[in-house]
Amino acid sequence: MSEPLLAVRDLGAGYGEMPVLRGIDFEIREREIVALVGSNAAGKTTLLRALSGVLPHTGQIRFAGEDVGGLPSDRIFALGLVQVPEGRQLFGQMTVQDNLLMGAYRRSGRLDLAQDLERVYTLFPVLKERRRQFAGSMSGGEQQMCAMARALVASPRLLMIDEMSLGLAPAVVDQLLDVLVEIRGQGVTVLLVEQDVFSALRVADRGYVLESGAIVREGSARDLGDDPEVQRAYLGV
Amino acid sequence: MDLLWQGLVNGILLGGLYSLMALGLALVWGVLNIVNLAHGAFIMLGGYACYYMFSGLGIDPFVALPATMAALFVFGYLLQRHLINLVIRAPMFNTLLLTFGIDVVLTYSAQIAFSADFRTINPSYAGAHFTWLGATIPLVRLIACAIAIALTLLLWLFLARTRLGRAIRATAQNLVAARLYGVEPRSIYALTFGIGAALAGGAGALYGVVSQLNPYIGVSLTAKSFVIAIIGGLESPLGVIAGGLILGLVESMTSLYVGATYTDVASFGILVLVLVVRPTGLFGRTT
Repeated sequence: MSEPLLAVRDLGAGYGEMPVLRGIDFEIREREIVALVGSNAAGKTTLLRALSGVLPHTGQIRFAGEDVGGLPSDRIFALGLVQVPEGRQLFGQMTVQDNLLMGAYRRSGRLDLAQDLERVYTLFPVLKERRRQFAGSMSGGEQQMCAMARALVASPRLLMIDEMSLGLAPAVVDQLLDVLVEIRGQGVTVLLVEQDVFSALRVADRGYVLESGAIVREGSARDLGDDPEVQRAYLGV
Repeated sequence: MDLLWQGLVNGILLGGLYSLMALGLALVWGVLNIVNLAHGAFIMLGGYACYYMFSGLGIDPFVALPATMAALFVFGYLLQRHLINLVIRAPMFNTLLLTFGIDVVLTYSAQIAFSADFRTINPSYAGAHFTWLGATIPLVRLIACAIAIALTLLLWLFLARTRLGRAIRATAQNLVAARLYGVEPRSIYALTFGIGAALAGGAGALYGVVSQLNPYIGVSLTAKSFVIAIIGGLESPLGVIAGGLILGLVESMTSLYVGATYTDVASFGILVLVLVVRPTGLFGRTT
């Protein structure tokens, strides 16, 4: 089998003297949806920050056949490792369309851009309706769609989404999960980082459970969902 | 009635120029979160640059304007890149102190280099004027006002429609997300500061045509720009135009009905009033 898209070996990271992550091993294959679940303060966001190159770390990170461990964040971004940050981080006083165009800031080529805008507007028709509206004036669900669309315009190979479902109504979460499946169909690999274990495991192929900075369980989404430990700890069963 | 009309016309012509003066200050403030106390000194430098191109080389001041702006752009860009960037993450007090220092250095360098004499950029058509609906309109003031408004609109278009303009707005609104999407804040800051200095330079050239230059005009022009930025808000160049026109009209009306010595009382009175009644600026969002 070919090399995975992302392979992480023995990764450790932290803030100052305080280690948050230790001995993290995991991998993501091309066109997979992988869920990384865990409770608050398990180290999920820290892991994403290390992967994006904005936080120093130990251990090895290989992405798309390259060692990206020491690269600056903009180089990693240019290779196609794109993050939808927690809390969306939209440009609130800019229009939806301008937000999407910022996703393409590092790209050149106008034709592709027009096609990509059309593609994300097809995925999220409501954004097309609201494209001249300030992003900050939309509902939480629409803002999450805008953040995901902005990331998609950046042509990701691996899309990492931090707490997609946070603060959203279940119906909206379902809609976004469907979009993830559709995105994967278009060739984008997805890493879904969630506290909402139930939702994440529903669309994921595989999952990892992060607890106190270490991966404590891994397996297919089905196995994890059936695991009595996981059920007890996260699903409230 | 005629007097009122003339006063309104004067106020609008003055206000257009005021908008351009404040524009660079508001832009830098909004994007870098730096109140540039040397902004007025940049205006002064622009005025002298244009003055020497006119008196030394015989270049028409309106032709020298683009060159003046280009020179100030380079000056501002380098100053930001190599000096102000050092304290960009520091608390506002530090940047105030630094830009105040730059202001002092520029002012007294100008005094040594250009002497403290009053200078006016005085082209052959400086006295030309015409009458419109009973109001006397000096030609150079009209041109200066038109150029000022045109430059303000150009900036607005640049921010609204171009890739770099979007990146500047994005950096101002959400630094974290801008970096995440590949914006390099340091170059955006230098570019923005350069544009702010170029606008100040343009305003200085126009100021030299309609008024008098000396090395010390900077302080009061910084203060006026600050008032306009507060009134108009930092979000849009269009707000700055409105702020400039309001200040121009208030000063013109005050000198007409109260006395010319009271214009500063009126303009800073407005500042206090706006800060008390609408701290977000007249056009700012309240949220």
